[in-house]
Amino acid sequence: MEIFLQQIVNGLAIGSIYALVAIGYTMVYGVMKLINFAHGDLVALAAYVGLTVLMQAFGMHITNLWAIILMFVITALFISLCGVVLERLAYRPLRKAPRLSAVVSALGASLAIENGIMLIWGPNIKVFPSNVFPNMRWHISGVVINSTQIAILLLSVILMLALYIFINKTKIGTAIRATAIDQDAAKLMGINVNGIIIAIFALGSFLGSIGGLFIGIYYRELYFQMGWIYGLNAFIAAIIGGIGNIPGAMLGGMLLGIFNVLIAGYVSNSWSEALTFVLLIIILIIKPTGILGERVAEKV
Amino acid sequence: MKLKNLLWVVVSLVFVFVSSSAFAAGVIKIGVQAPITGSFANEGQGIDNAVKMLVAQQNAKGGLLGKKLEVVTCDDEGTAVGGAICARKLVNNGVVAVIGSYSSTPTESAEPIYARAGVLQTSDATADSLTKHGYWTFFRNSCPNSAEATFTADFLVKDKHFKRIVVLSDYSSYSTDLADATIAALKKIGGNVIYYGKIQAGSQNFTPILTKIKSMNPDVIYFCGYYTDGGLIRAQEVSLGIKAAFVGGDSNDNPEFFKLAGKASNGVYMINVPRPDILPYPLAKEFLKDYQARYHMMPPSIWTLFNADGLRAIMYAIEKTKTTDTKKLAAFLHNLKDFPGITGPITFTKDGERAGSRFMAYEIYNNNQYKVVYKED
Amino acid sequence: MKKNFVWYGVFFAIAIIYPHFVDPSWVDIGTTFALYSVVALSQDIVLGKAGMFDMGHATFFGIGAYTAAILNTTYNIPIMYTIPIAIALSALFGIIISWPIIHLRGDYLLVATIGFNIIFYQALQNNVFGLTGGPNGIFGIGTPVIFGINIASQKAIYYFAWFILLITMLIIYNIDKSKLGRAFHYLRESEVAAESFGVNKRFYKVLAFALGAGLASLAGVIFAVQYAAVSPQTFNFTQSVLFFTIVIVGGPSSIPGILLGTFVMFVVPQFFREFATARYFVFGIAMILTMILRPQGICPARFGKLPKYIFKES
Repeated sequence: MEIFLQQIVNGLAIGSIYALVAIGYTMVYGVMKLINFAHGDLVALAAYVGLTVLMQAFGMHITNLWAIILMFVITALFISLCGVVLERLAYRPLRKAPRLSAVVSALGASLAIENGIMLIWGPNIKVFPSNVFPNMRWHISGVVINSTQIAILLLSVILMLALYIFINKTKIGTAIRATAIDQDAAKLMGINVNGIIIAIFALGSFLGSIGGLFIGIYYRELYFQMGWIYGLNAFIAAIIGGIGNIPGAMLGGMLLGIFNVLIAGYVSNSWSEALTFVLLIIILIIKPTGILGERVAEKV
Repeated sequence: MKLKNLLWVVVSLVFVFVSSSAFAAGVIKIGVQAPITGSFANEGQGIDNAVKMLVAQQNAKGGLLGKKLEVVTCDDEGTAVGGAICARKLVNNGVVAVIGSYSSTPTESAEPIYARAGVLQTSDATADSLTKHGYWTFFRNSCPNSAEATFTADFLVKDKHFKRIVVLSDYSSYSTDLADATIAALKKIGGNVIYYGKIQAGSQNFTPILTKIKSMNPDVIYFCGYYTDGGLIRAQEVSLGIKAAFVGGDSNDNPEFFKLAGKASNGVYMINVPRPDILPYPLAKEFLKDYQARYHMMPPSIWTLFNADGLRAIMYAIEKTKTTDTKKLAAFLHNLKDFPGITGPITFTKDGERAGSRFMAYEIYNNNQYKVVYKED
Repeated sequence: MKKNFVWYGVFFAIAIIYPHFVDPSWVDIGTTFALYSVVALSQDIVLGKAGMFDMGHATFFGIGAYTAAILNTTYNIPIMYTIPIAIALSALFGIIISWPIIHLRGDYLLVATIGFNIIFYQALQNNVFGLTGGPNGIFGIGTPVIFGINIASQKAIYYFAWFILLITMLIIYNIDKSKLGRAFHYLRESEVAAESFGVNKRFYKVLAFALGAGLASLAGVIFAVQYAAVSPQTFNFTQSVLFFTIVIVGGPSSIPGILLGTFVMFVVPQFFREFATARYFVFGIAMILTMILRPQGICPARFGKLPKYIFKES
């Protein structure tokens, strides 16, 4: 039983990271029907930028707490900016173009960012210092929980709650939801669609960057291809929860994290990736809208 | 549309003719076939860097046989397709020998091409099949898995008397081959392997499989993958409260391992060829020092060092036989015995296999200090 | 129409004399160009003509290659006999895979095909049934023997591959002109209208997948012969992305477009191998620019053959 609980604890930690990244995908898809393949690479970029800022801060002898705050703030702002720039350069010129052309552009952006990371930081792995978050371990009836996991879980939940309130209770949030339903009608209502799109890219990248920093803090190992893997997993999470649906992305992320660890722990580590996709395909066949998702049937 | 078509055709033909021009004599060309881009980019670039550095050093001494050495690099992206294309390119370029590739697949797809052209090839790739084809041009510069496997088995069972052994590998051919060989060697001397699992390299999240392993109560976890995962596995093993010892195969031995594992590095056992700072040869220390000075980073792994040794052996052969006739060079290399190397004395068998390097087991203390705890004669 | 034939004639004439003028590494590139073009054309049947978002096509390419590899090395079946088996097996998989997911909307279908690709890749890596050789793959694949002639030399394999390309182009050309092509076209334009015409949606969609799978696997067999080896990396998701990009960048549903696409995505990077590390960075940027400048693809199909999703969504 304690093994099971241990796996759940592990799963929730990774699940929160997936959730943060998945929100970025789902927001963009909801409004623009575009799978932003470059999102995962922005998350990776966030981890690298965060590490650089952190090492700089330590080098300037700034105390631990301030260094961490600096890292979060600078990275989040920078990556949000990158997201907006990405949209402006790679996607906006293709608004009127065939959908798949934007997909190819996204793939190109992903390739460019990934290799850009390799060119700037080199191909070797980079290691985050340990104990960025104070590291304490608790043994509760045979289950080991460490403080980093708790911190990540708490912060993620707070962020997601904040986002939920933002989307549902503020004017901009309502504007975002309106644009997701019908861009033209939203324009008619006086909503500045371009501005909304910039907002969702900034917001999605912001959350993704926090996810990237958590990856750095929790797993501590960065390599330039990691964006791809996290991106794919987060995308699956978004679909499981119902793409275009923000609470769905959060739920999907958590579920995927737990599912991943349970499969790896109980069934077989060698097939865990394949089985994750089997789950995805089953969900797509039975309930393609995802757990909380919208209708996808084509109206005749 | 018509004109554009014609233009494409003409442009491509021109490109092709231009790039197929070979260079004049007066230089000795050394080829590098490695994954400069792609998932093994760090290893590929490491090999390229090491070769370029050694060549520059040799040129500073006047080159070989009165000629300067020149490096021609081809990026095979770590794929079979890239391997074959690079092989043909390098052969066409008139290289005497090729260092490459890093992994088995592009090495094996390039092998017959080099063999037919009489170009020497040395690689760190570990697939057994590479030396089974009988190609006289091929020399493996890394220590074969079988030697490490028997040593590891002896260490785990005869020396440490571990009773419940867990073996972990990743999916690469190097790692799975080493795991299979070690398990076979363990079985032969009565070792008890309670579980063999594989992890996805780079997945970072090893807690699920470690949690599962915890419930099996092992007394040792032997990991034969890379330090990029090994360091994390060790750190996560300790944070989960697993009491088993950790033994790492030779690809774990890298300074980054200790960064990743942090305090958990203490008590780790590493199995590797004699460390450069234990070897009495100044060459080894010098190599690392020079690499660090020139490239501002350490070589990505021990595999860079193996390949560097491959080149050094070839350069030595050229120097001693006073020729670049590859048949004579191959004959010389097949008889090479105990040539001092960064990774230990180099001896090649008649199959091009690297003969028995001495392995050692080290224990880590003080976060990154080594002490020898086991060796065989 | 006649004009097109003249151009194709010139194209093949150049292809025939090509290996005698260039060095061996470029002959290899030429052979692989032909094979990748066949795979891209086969993907085009699904993606360009029938309008289904398929991003896992490397799976079928791989099924062909591995079938040939396993049958030839483990069971010593001559390559020529593995060809029909590989095609049939791959088509069967095409049917099995597409059947349950064929009704999914665009992007969901995309993700499902990615899923099948990844499952295939893991199966290869895990050495399923002990047949697939794990991460090392399988080496030592033989060569086809036709009427006693062993197609073993580099040039012979090159011509064989181009012959396959010619056949593929003829097949595609005939599909376009036939009832099959029209059915695909109507399905792409409007499923609802097509069904009211009596076009059985499910049948034709699955058929498109089966055809695409079969052709891709034919290329796979020759690919295995060319490199005498197969390994899981060659058939992973990144490869699928390559073929997908070739179709979109070159121009969906257009044969010259696909050939150009393969040239741009596969051959052009070969020129820049010397530029080492920055190569793919530049390539990524180039992909973005290409789509911005020519969103319909470099050489899109003529009017009447343009896929519906190319037009603005209203």
